[in-house]
Amino acid sequence: MWVTNLKIVGVVLGVLSLYTLIANKIPQVQSEVPQALTLGANVTPEQLLAAGEKVFNGIGGCTTCHGLGTRAPNLLTDEKGTGPIGARCGKREPGKTCKQYLFESLDNPTAYVVAGYQPIMPVMTKQLSPEQVWAVIAFLESQGGTVDVTASDIPAPTPGASPGGPGAPGSPGLAGGSTDPKAIIQAAGCLACHKLDGQGQMIAPDLTHVGSRRSAESIRKKILDPASSIAKGYEKLAGIMPKTFGSMMNASQLEALVGYLAAHQ
Amino acid sequence: MSDVSLMSDVLLLVQAAADTTRAYGEFPVIGARAAVWIAAEVHLMFAAFVLGVPMFAVVTEAIGIFGGDERYDRLSKEFTRLLLVAYSATAIWGTVLLFFLATLYPRFFAYLFAIFRYSAWVYAGLFFFESFTLYLYYYGWDRWKKGRAKVGHWTLGILLNVWGTIVMFIANSWLTYMMSPPRDIGPTTDPTTIRLWHAIANATWMPINVHRLIANVVFGGAIVGAYASYRFLAARTDEERAHYDWMGYVGNFIAISALIVLPFAGYWLGREIYQYDQSMGITMMGGFMSWLWVIQAFLIAVLFLTGNYYLWIGMGRIPGAERFRPYTKWLLLVLVLGAIVWGTPHTMIADSKELAAMGGSHHPFLGALGVMSAKNTAVNLMILTTFLSFLMYRRGNIRLVVPWARAGTLIQAAMFAVAAGVVLFYGIRGYFVDAIVRIGFSVYQVLAVLACIAGVTVIDILLGRGAQSLGAIQWGKMPPRSQYALFILAVTFTWLMGLMGFARSGVRQYWHVWQVMQDTSKYAATPALGYASKMISLCVLIFLSLVAFVFWLGGLAEKSTFVSAGEGKARHVGH
Repeated sequence: MWVTNLKIVGVVLGVLSLYTLIANKIPQVQSEVPQALTLGANVTPEQLLAAGEKVFNGIGGCTTCHGLGTRAPNLLTDEKGTGPIGARCGKREPGKTCKQYLFESLDNPTAYVVAGYQPIMPVMTKQLSPEQVWAVIAFLESQGGTVDVTASDIPAPTPGASPGGPGAPGSPGLAGGSTDPKAIIQAAGCLACHKLDGQGQMIAPDLTHVGSRRSAESIRKKILDPASSIAKGYEKLAGIMPKTFGSMMNASQLEALVGYLAAHQ
Repeated sequence: MSDVSLMSDVLLLVQAAADTTRAYGEFPVIGARAAVWIAAEVHLMFAAFVLGVPMFAVVTEAIGIFGGDERYDRLSKEFTRLLLVAYSATAIWGTVLLFFLATLYPRFFAYLFAIFRYSAWVYAGLFFFESFTLYLYYYGWDRWKKGRAKVGHWTLGILLNVWGTIVMFIANSWLTYMMSPPRDIGPTTDPTTIRLWHAIANATWMPINVHRLIANVVFGGAIVGAYASYRFLAARTDEERAHYDWMGYVGNFIAISALIVLPFAGYWLGREIYQYDQSMGITMMGGFMSWLWVIQAFLIAVLFLTGNYYLWIGMGRIPGAERFRPYTKWLLLVLVLGAIVWGTPHTMIADSKELAAMGGSHHPFLGALGVMSAKNTAVNLMILTTFLSFLMYRRGNIRLVVPWARAGTLIQAAMFAVAAGVVLFYGIRGYFVDAIVRIGFSVYQVLAVLACIAGVTVIDILLGRGAQSLGAIQWGKMPPRSQYALFILAVTFTWLMGLMGFARSGVRQYWHVWQVMQDTSKYAATPALGYASKMISLCVLIFLSLVAFVFWLGGLAEKSTFVSAGEGKARHVGH
């Protein structure tokens, strides 16, 4: 009987070893915790590239759409015969350098939607810190082009401000802490997707009469937690609105914005 | 009363641990994450076993009662005997998990049970009901064996399943809350203000409930199959060998039958995850977990191929089944091709060098096979093929005598052809429509396959009326390799369970509770598949070793319950 027992143990260990071996032979990808990025004045192009690649593949969430071929243009590989992004970015908009084009694409993505794709990209300058944005630009430039991002492109941090962006603890909030709702709307980039009083894009619901559809409570909830309710007809865009607005504004700004929008009957 | 006071002490200790201000504790050598991982995984494996086995213990007992075949009643009792020790092991590992969580992740533990404290009490209370019902069910077996008393006894088995299912649903609510907390709950929400039902009825709760319910049946069947195969290999008499051969067949039949519907439940769960949070869905299917699905496809291929292989070998002990043998090579071909397509990667995490080497985001040729249209088509054809294997096995030793036998068989063949046609049509059409339309096609494919299985089965039962026997199944006349196939099935099912558990839990990444409570421990990063596979293999090894011990204890406690096939009113086919 011990022979049978040994055979059974052999089968079990053999099967376990096979599965473990296969799982160890495939590419090993670990999901890292996003880290805050700090680049000094003496940052080298190599450091920028390395940081940019990390943001691109990690916290930036770029690979969620770019590189899959159907949701957004390929950036790291050829896109319809025009080459990778570093090779084509300088030719996309007349009069704009590659660096300018890439920054504006991240700052106002709906301005440069490539034909055949939906305007679903969020405003990345609101999602990432300036260091992260410029690191990503350097990384994208390196894909078939020349990297000309330097430390001087990265705005110096405001004295006293924390590196986490406008919503970080201790920061004054968007638009320098202004409670002017129009300044907040401008700084938050709401009009990149929403239309309000004849201005802005029609990607997301028109806010001109939002006060007649939503109460102040509902507007506040929507800003703090965009996924809490999705307007009818916009289900496909669920998840696009950044979840960070609540942490980018201080309480006075939030209330000023809510009051302003609720008054738009 | 001593149990109650012990429970109070445990809760006090747990509360005391949770009240500490530390967020994380340390565990020697392997670390806190690995300790919790092992405790949770082994507990879950035992829990799946003690929830899955009673399901078909009740079904087999019912077959024994209403079909008059005493073999099934004995089989049911033998299953239940295994439960007694397995139940204790489940409770022990559950307690280990509780202590590990309370001492290694005290802040998270305090948060979770600030919300779920009442359901935790109900959970603990149900253990008493479940334990005593199990004792009554097992120890009352020989006392309540006739007439109404027997039906009453069977009702106890049903009750055992009811308690077990509620216990599982409660535990599922805790882990699904971690994965998909209601959207109005944020990082600053005071957990004591969250309504219990609101937290329980989260987006993934019911899909997980259904998925686990079915998976437990699959798992229970596979473990019973392994138990039977061990007893078969250890058997000293032909009679004993025949009994355990039959038991292994029943275990495998249940496991494979339930496995066929499991992908549909998994599909529902996946869809709910996407609807809850698209980024979570993309992380799971196209993000850092994308390679996991290639491993899963390999495991499923092993399950289908091994399950079919066992059936084909089994046809060797069925007089008359040799007439179907020439077809098996074609069935094998479909299964292999299906497995290759299902395992073809599509949207993979790749760095810039890998993308450049591939010439794009997808492989120019394989990319076309890696999409859901091809994969859904492949898996549905594999399911149809496996069902055809079962059908041939069923038909092995009978000759149909009903006057419409030929017409009936032709109708069955037409049903297969139509189902395969529908699957292929929507599979090809999926390449020419938008993704949102393509997703809907999988429903038509699934419905076609399920309708075929249901329709063909009904016709087959009617066709089999008064069928002429070509000879009784020669139970026990199976080569040993068939029994090792059952072991491979059990190990693969268990490993697959560990892998899917990693997928479900790992998709939260560095969150204890998705976007509500962040994991700030040094183990916050979600490990790669290589590390995960080692942990899964370790857990499977611990579980199987303990199960072997449980089986050995079961053998010590009582002699085998096998009876000769001739004692019951066994039909001439083994199902």
